[in-house]
Amino acid sequence: MVTIELSGIKKAWEDFKLEINDLRVKDGEFLTLLGPSGCGKTTTLRIIAGFEKPDSGEILFDGKSVNELPPYERGIGIVFQDYALFPHMSVFKNVAFGLEMRRLPKAEIERRVKWALELVGLKGFENRYPEQLSGGQQQRVALARALVVEPQVLLLDEPLSNLDAKIRERLRGEIRRIQRELGITTIYVTHDQEEAMAISDRIAVMNVGKLEQVGSPLELYYRPKTEFVARFLGLSNILELEARNGVACAGKLCFPVEREGRVRIFFRPESVVIESGDDAEILDYELLPGRIRLRLELDGNTIIAERFLEELPFRPERPPRRVGLKVTRFSLL
Amino acid sequence: MRVRASKLLIFAPAAFLLAFFYLPLGSILKIGLWEEGPTLKPIIEVLSNEYHRRVILFTIGQALASTGLTLLLGLPGAYIFARYEFPGKRLLKAILTVPFVMPSIMVALGFILLFGKSGIITSLIGRDLGILYSWKAIILAHAFYNFPIVIRMVSALWQRVNPHYEEAAMALGARGWRLFWRVTLPLISPAIFASAMLTFVFCFLSFSIPLILGGYRYATIEVDIFTSIMTLLDFRTGSALAVIQIILSMAFMYIYLRALDSYAKREEQRVLQREKRLTRKELLSLKGALIGLYSLTVFIFILAPLIAVIYDSLQFNGSWSLEWYRRIFSAEYNPMFGATTFTAIKNSLLFGFGTVIFSITVGLPIAYALYRWDFRGKRLFDVLAMLPLASSSITLGLGYIALFSKTPLYYSPILIIAAHTIIAYPFVLRAVSTSLKKIRPTLWEAALSLGAREWQAFLKVELPLAAGGLIVGSIFAFAMSIAELGATYMLAKPEYTTITVAIYKFLGARQFGSASALSVLLMAVSTAGFLIIERVGEEAW
Ligand SMILES: Nc1ncnc2c1ncn2[C@@H]1O[C@H](COP(=O)(O)OP(=O)(O)OP(=O)(O)O)[C@@H](O)[C@H]1O
Ligand SMILES: [Mg+2]
Repeated sequence: MVTIELSGIKKAWEDFKLEINDLRVKDGEFLTLLGPSGCGKTTTLRIIAGFEKPDSGEILFDGKSVNELPPYERGIGIVFQDYALFPHMSVFKNVAFGLEMRRLPKAEIERRVKWALELVGLKGFENRYPEQLSGGQQQRVALARALVVEPQVLLLDEPLSNLDAKIRERLRGEIRRIQRELGITTIYVTHDQEEAMAISDRIAVMNVGKLEQVGSPLELYYRPKTEFVARFLGLSNILELEARNGVACAGKLCFPVEREGRVRIFFRPESVVIESGDDAEILDYELLPGRIRLRLELDGNTIIAERFLEELPFRPERPPRRVGLKVTRFSLL
Repeated sequence: MRVRASKLLIFAPAAFLLAFFYLPLGSILKIGLWEEGPTLKPIIEVLSNEYHRRVILFTIGQALASTGLTLLLGLPGAYIFARYEFPGKRLLKAILTVPFVMPSIMVALGFILLFGKSGIITSLIGRDLGILYSWKAIILAHAFYNFPIVIRMVSALWQRVNPHYEEAAMALGARGWRLFWRVTLPLISPAIFASAMLTFVFCFLSFSIPLILGGYRYATIEVDIFTSIMTLLDFRTGSALAVIQIILSMAFMYIYLRALDSYAKREEQRVLQREKRLTRKELLSLKGALIGLYSLTVFIFILAPLIAVIYDSLQFNGSWSLEWYRRIFSAEYNPMFGATTFTAIKNSLLFGFGTVIFSITVGLPIAYALYRWDFRGKRLFDVLAMLPLASSSITLGLGYIALFSKTPLYYSPILIIAAHTIIAYPFVLRAVSTSLKKIRPTLWEAALSLGAREWQAFLKVELPLAAGGLIVGSIFAFAMSIAELGATYMLAKPEYTTITVAIYKFLGARQFGSASALSVLLMAVSTAGFLIIERVGEEAW
């Protein structure tokens, strides 16, 4: 197993610049690259795989530079967004491809293909061709094909984005299970923040070619360093306030801070507790399954709050005009 | 790593093109533009000669007229094919591939047998329509050759016209002609333009058809060069004409390639429209009748020359007989000036398969290098590799005589194969390029990530997936080699006579029966060749 390190990586095209100063993936870790379309996730992955040469910088596997190694010598397994199954080969042949390239004996190949197909739950599909499989099944074959060669590093580029929501949820659980089972260092690319939160040890959020923040899902969710990260991971409240004597207040809502002067207070809608009172005016509200999302006005600031229905101090059918509120968890941007 | 490999890969094909296309071309330019220094004298002499001037204008004129007729015949077909599903459509589609693989000399012969003084149609309607040995026969035969191209290319785009555009336009009030004019036509015009340009270039350079159906009075530049050199032995005039032809055809080819680019871009769009299945009621309406009429016309148009040739080969002194076949196979009956029919068959096959092998050897590496690698001068290389498409067989023959006549190569069949390869390989290049481009790029990357070297990824993944293009290209190359007349005639020693050359000699001697029997044989040989290529191709990959 292996650690991955990117340092000082730069890659430029006419209208796009990628710059990754320092990114480390620990041995056996599941790291997700998360970011909006076109931010450079695929490019980063392709640089790690060796399909794209960086203009400068180094890619280290276990501390050793792999810059000069071609993809076939890097010990990687890749799953592509379009699966990239060889259309002229059966499932068996697809999965066996990497083993044949390594000139393993036939019996060994058969044994390992069988193992890989069992791992992804596709026993008995050996003789089908890719076009005879559903999207989810193709996805599994692609995964088996990447894993069967026992790569040191598994790279997945939006492997689930072509599938419908239900299968997506099931498959991401399976990918996670298999990854844990094999303990393989994994880099996963997605632009779906929910998927990223569900599956990752750590997430690296990218924005126009740069890393915004790297951290555990909870860290990023509750303590984002930038407004971009805050907003990309979910609904956010960001208040620009003046701090004096250790507190920053919006109306009656006060936050203890250590700084003085202008501060940006960040908190999630779920961190807002609704009570009876008259701190804030309810502008409007929206019922979600089992929950309610309120838009509140507090001293010229708009605040979004989200609660379970049973936590409300009033009946959801008849909300009052004004409520009191408390924020249980916040951070500074 | 990449640059070196690509250089090695391209070296042999580039050397081949240099030796068998660019250097011969250079020799022609030298004869035409050089007399102790650069000069335009030969060109000016040709241009100030009334006959040659008329030939040049006629060449362009007949190409324009042929293109017009081709569009007229092809566009309705393109529409029908793109929009409707009807009984007999598959058969019609199959029939449309016949002209692609039918040697042009056989078409010319078919036209003679149909429209000649004692031709089938002439005797059916009881008078000579005056089609033969005039421009009419030429443009009719050219249309025969090219209208399937128009149908294929235009219907491919027509099917891709997103129905939503048309529906949106209809919702906005556009209908009928206005809808077609303002919405549909702009969307399919790249296909119309590209197919028309291709037709135009083919007709501009075509040789056998004007040679046989036009005669001296309706000569094209190609025929003019041929007679200048082969009958009058006037290399100066021939080369000057060739220079003029090369300049014109390169200009046309450039326009065609540009048109093809915008066509290819449109063709990539995936929205395919389902053809509408015609109901029985619709089939019996005016629409159905028109489609039926069109199909019938196509059937007759394509099959008539073919049937005429077969029929004629089986007629001897007014009754059914195999006499012509017996004659062409008998050793004493030896009208091919030095070779028997068996030798001709052997030569045709030798050149045909030789051309396939050479064309693949030249075309595949170039196609692959252009597809896979980025290198300096790539665009220029692309153009230089496609330029042979603008060369004609007579020009090529002339260039080879000028360059090689004093070398031992001149007496070897390699020269003929080389000429055929230069003519045919652009089609292999195109076909392979097209199928390579259809391969998703991630497949190659997947192969590399699984441990395959570049060459393994090529052999195991890309080549099998491009095999379709390779087979189609090979069949094309084979068909073109088998049918090639001009260069072969100019270069072949008697012992290298091919079936096509033999047919031409029979035609010259007005022995139509033997020509017909040989044509049927030619058709059989080429069909066998296609089947073999398909078989071998499918097994090899
Ligand atoms: N080969 C290339 N040549 C030029 N520009 C490129 C190339 N590959 C990528 N780019 C540009 O780099 C930028 C980042 O592309 P990349 O594919 O890495 O984005 P991404 O984050 O994976 O986006 P998506 O979520 O849409 O897949 C884009 O603006 C793209 O246009
Ligand atoms: Mg991407």
